[in-house]
Amino acid sequence: MSGLFPGFLILSAAMFAIGAAGVLVRRNPLVVFMCIELMLNSANLALVTYARYTHTMAGQVFALIVIAVAASEVVVGLALITGVYRSGRRLDLDELSEMSE
Amino acid sequence: MSVVFGLAAVIAFLGALGVVLSERTIYSAMSLVLNMVALAVLFLLLDAQFIAAVQIIVYAGAVMVLFVFIIALLSPGAEERLRSVELRLLLGGVGAVAFTLLIGRLTLNGITVGAHGRLHGALGPFSPVAVNAHGQVQTLGDQLFTTYLLPFEVTSLLLLVAAVGAVYLSRRRRQLV
Repeated sequence: MSGLFPGFLILSAAMFAIGAAGVLVRRNPLVVFMCIELMLNSANLALVTYARYTHTMAGQVFALIVIAVAASEVVVGLALITGVYRSGRRLDLDELSEMSE
Repeated sequence: MSVVFGLAAVIAFLGALGVVLSERTIYSAMSLVLNMVALAVLFLLLDAQFIAAVQIIVYAGAVMVLFVFIIALLSPGAEERLRSVELRLLLGGVGAVAFTLLIGRLTLNGITVGAHGRLHGALGPFSPVAVNAHGQVQTLGDQLFTTYLLPFEVTSLLLLVAAVGAVYLSRRRRQLV
């Protein structure tokens, strides 16, 4: 069973890297939010993996808390996106950049 | 067991790739659902039954339904041509592969695993056998409401703040910001 331990961690790292690349590359805010979900999920996988192989419970407890945080983040983020859409702007992160100027 | 792991890992990986590489937003969302269901299978393999159930109910259920609603609502303005971001995709892919190789090398060299394939330090009291004897959900609940009570309460406060914030942001205003 412990032979799968590196497998779980490497899958978690690959998912995190794909999610991070997606956040940096994509311009659609909805897809960027989904990539953030992907990164949170990969963190969950690493937490539960370590909890299982160190025989502790903290990883599972904090995986639950990460799921709650992800849900709140999606709710607020999607409300922001609909607000931007209703103000007549195009949903393109390259065009929504006046805060960085 | 390793067959199930391999299958679920490949599906999760392909789902993750699909989120980033799909041109249409709804395909990204469906890939993310695929990824989350595969992750729930992996959680079952890791003896985390409750997390697997919550993953299906909260993520694949609630969160993705919200995403699909918003995509259906906004999709006319949310198209994106991937060809115009080809260079960025290439750079992002190189970065992602480099990061994965780095973590993989650290893992296989024993940095994260520990010497002789064992983790550093003593193992905790929650071995899979002990947890299953007491009940997986019971053990998690005991821990959540005793040792980790403060993070749990702070999380409930966070959910309240998020609900109030979402109502505030999405209410109808006369003058849009």
